[in-house]
Amino acid sequence: MGSRPRLNRRQFLAGLAAFGFGPARAETRRFRIALADFDETPGVTLEGLGFTGAQLRRSFELAARSLPVEMIYFDNAGDPTRAIGNAEAAIAAGIDLLIEYCADREANAEIAHRLSTAGIPALALVYPLPGAPVYGPDNRAAGRIAGQALGKFAVENWSGEQVVGVVIGDIAGPNPAINERVQGITDGVHEALPTLQLASLDTGGQAVRADALLTKFLQTQRGQRLLIATLDDLAAVYAKNAIEMNRRQSDCIIVSQGLDQNIHGGASEKKEIDPNNRGSVVLGSVAYYMDRYGYEILPLAMRLLAGEKLPEHTVTQHLLVTASNVFREYPPFDMN
Amino acid sequence: MKIAGLAALTGMSVLSLLASAVPAFAEADCKAVVAPSPFGPDDQTGATNRVTAAVTKAAAAEIQTGVVTPMAYPLVDGIPLFGSRFSKTILSSFATMPGAEFGKNKLSYMEDTYLSQSHVGTHIDGLGHIGIQDCYYNQTPMGKYVTQNNLKRLGIENLKSFATRGVIIDAVKVFQAANKLKANPACKRPCLDAGTMITQADLEAGLKMYNVTLREGDAVFINTGWGDLFEQYPAQNTAYNGGEPGITAAAAQWLASQKVILVGSDTWAVEVIPGEDKDIAFPVHKTLLTDNGIHIIENVRTQLIADAAANSKRATFFLSMTVPKAVGLTGTFINIEAIQ
Repeated sequence: MGSRPRLNRRQFLAGLAAFGFGPARAETRRFRIALADFDETPGVTLEGLGFTGAQLRRSFELAARSLPVEMIYFDNAGDPTRAIGNAEAAIAAGIDLLIEYCADREANAEIAHRLSTAGIPALALVYPLPGAPVYGPDNRAAGRIAGQALGKFAVENWSGEQVVGVVIGDIAGPNPAINERVQGITDGVHEALPTLQLASLDTGGQAVRADALLTKFLQTQRGQRLLIATLDDLAAVYAKNAIEMNRRQSDCIIVSQGLDQNIHGGASEKKEIDPNNRGSVVLGSVAYYMDRYGYEILPLAMRLLAGEKLPEHTVTQHLLVTASNVFREYPPFDMN
Repeated sequence: MKIAGLAALTGMSVLSLLASAVPAFAEADCKAVVAPSPFGPDDQTGATNRVTAAVTKAAAAEIQTGVVTPMAYPLVDGIPLFGSRFSKTILSSFATMPGAEFGKNKLSYMEDTYLSQSHVGTHIDGLGHIGIQDCYYNQTPMGKYVTQNNLKRLGIENLKSFATRGVIIDAVKVFQAANKLKANPACKRPCLDAGTMITQADLEAGLKMYNVTLREGDAVFINTGWGDLFEQYPAQNTAYNGGEPGITAAAAQWLASQKVILVGSDTWAVEVIPGEDKDIAFPVHKTLLTDNGIHIIENVRTQLIADAAANSKRATFFLSMTVPKAVGLTGTFINIEAIQ
């Protein structure tokens, strides 16, 4: 039997509210939570996927509507120094909790130190912040889901035929998540096709290059079936274009990573996967839900503020989204 | 030749849409997922059952000055539409060419072909519009009643009169008064931003602003200011379609408990988008249409009647609105006027 963790005043009040005790004042207590976003610069995307910092922030704005929280937003702009400054500003603003999204290890250590000194708890997004629970993707698991889907497709549709595998994306990019995804894809494909070799087409971070790279590759692979794993959805769109321009729709299939708007489409936007378009060469994409992080993370923050101890690492529940379930995951607005 | 080509092309689109519009229904226990109708197990009419002679007579008392305020937007190319929706007119029959006139008086004439989806512009959502799986209003298993061309139950031909009292709730003024208006910079007039939740308390505050108490059979319209973006078509179509302010699921429940016949707004779905719960699609539609037979009117031009109410301090009016007896349709564009 360990001793019960000591609660500070903030956690004690939150606990009262969470369990329905105490006066109305405790029940109506509103918490001040800061989100220090990774980078909201237009054109910058997150974690090698198609999501933007603005989308991530918006998910917090939307999720906060139904919770007793006042949100304060900071943009770290991908700059460790700025991230430290933002954390300091958040502390000065009297926050109850900081949600930190910063990739720099040293900056995170400094931020954790300052928060600890101020007695303010934190939640970390994607990258560890000393002493704080982390929420983020399970890149290897997500990759494995894609690999499994590709392998299953080949077994079910191309049994006994010559099958080639290829991974397309920012393969040499600096984000370690990419390697984890590629490894996961490889593991997943090998479950059904243990001897399949996966070629790599590196876009160098420019998804548009997927078109030319795949076109060239297709011309060297005549008569072969192609399993294509793209590392982001924009690369999938360009790869699809290459396949269609080369009229190879019947012997190519793509499974992507992300499930961002390039694939599921927003209001009045083209949908690459759609229940009415089940013949697309884009079989599906593995969802990362970064545009919904707020809905997952703010409830965790409330639990933390209520004095609950969270697991050290909480991961996104990744899911392969295809034409058969895309509208359940991202209902289209076209139906009103 | 051009017209024939266009007609053929559009015809193909129509066929394609019709084919895709027939869903592969999954059978569900409709008694478990949809509330029973308060108007009996065979009812296909819904909330307009509440528009009795007494309700219409009482509503007629709202006509005091005779001033008529339009509440519908023009239906014209360029207005915000969703996805593959379209609305096109083709001048399809005419006798204006020399020699084609009729009789010695040289009568000429023109006609149109309307190639349009029904849920465009200012329009009504009928009871066949929204369900949960194959379960629609009054626990109807719609899979049994869907054909290639229309519905065999719950079509808008079943609706009764809309000759009732209208009530405008000005959510913009409510939010301004509460000092919580977060506007969208694209709006030229004050508007609630996309994602703004309008609660029961907000609706009650809006009613109190003009000393209105809802009564059974009322038609409720909510002005959010979002229609300002509609009026800026096509420049702001993306912004207009990208989200909207609107009522919450709980507010919809409350309106249903007030036994209104319809809820309309200057938005494309009446309810807040993005919704409160990321996993629940269009809960207000389900509450109002599917569970309660209460119609939703979208893209309503509410600003003018909201302005009129602000000037006259009177937020009620006689609702002039009719729905064509189009058999088996899920909705239709309509015209609305407020008569005070």
